[in-house]
Amino acid sequence: MLLSFTIWLQNTDLFAYVRNSGYAYPVLLSLHILCISLFGGMILATDMRILGWGMRNHSISDIVNQLRVPKRVGFVLVATCGILLIVSKAEEYYYNPFVRIKMVLLALVAVHAVVFRSSVYNKAAALDQLKPLPVRAKLAAGLSLLLWLSIACAGRAIGYISGSAGSHHYAGLL
Amino acid sequence: MFIENPLNSSELTFPVLECFHIVGFIVAIGSVALVDFRLLGLCLRHQTPGQLTNDTNLWTIIGLTVSVFAGLLLFSTDPDKYYLNSPFLVKIGCLALAIVFNYTIHRKVIFSRASPASSRAVACVSLGLWVLVVFGGMLVSFTAI
Repeated sequence: MLLSFTIWLQNTDLFAYVRNSGYAYPVLLSLHILCISLFGGMILATDMRILGWGMRNHSISDIVNQLRVPKRVGFVLVATCGILLIVSKAEEYYYNPFVRIKMVLLALVAVHAVVFRSSVYNKAAALDQLKPLPVRAKLAAGLSLLLWLSIACAGRAIGYISGSAGSHHYAGLL
Repeated sequence: MFIENPLNSSELTFPVLECFHIVGFIVAIGSVALVDFRLLGLCLRHQTPGQLTNDTNLWTIIGLTVSVFAGLLLFSTDPDKYYLNSPFLVKIGCLALAIVFNYTIHRKVIFSRASPASSRAVACVSLGLWVLVVFGGMLVSFTAI
């Protein structure tokens, strides 16, 4: 069922265009990675501050609250490119083990948000008063870094499964 | 004389090095971008650009070191493929410019309480150079085959 849906989806005009145009896929992939680079520092800053490994001159709430909206903007940009990329070759990616791993890791990011948002990220001001910091907060920050790191590596690995990423766009670029 | 690069003895080496390369540049570019976004007034406005530069300086250096070192090893697996590839040369040129710019004019403007206009200009140049580095790098992977 999921497979037939993905095949239908990848053949809609938009996704067929991304797949068949020589430029769309490489440009979107570059934008995907560019936005990851530009906005990844915000996740790093948030989590490093909570862990107390950086930005210690500023309070936790100050960093967490100020970066909340910019991080969401970044996520939307990265995810938009990512969805265009993945759905354009949905049938092929359906069988790619690293796509599956990446999806599971992204689902874990959602679980992470459900578990920690109300108790850590929404209570940043309260965390400033607590010394030492609760294990829960440090666990949230550490797991966040670990999850995003794994997602970046799984994402790179997707291109190593035959037939994906660069191979058939080569002709289009030259 | 022909010496086999030991990095080519395993198929896993290249992808693993690439992960180090990618995570390294995410940390490096991400930390510089944080300062640039601040210069543009887009985030962390409670902090000064100078404070953020001091806060993220070490991350930038660590990210750059990991990324460049992994990049050199990646290059060494097949130098012929890369040094004849024009996107690669553009990328390396922009990278050199971006690094020099970051530690000279960028710094100077951040710590000299320059006018908002020059802060914005410097942020745009810095971001522009890093964008070219990333795009150049992606283009390398699509053309150096």
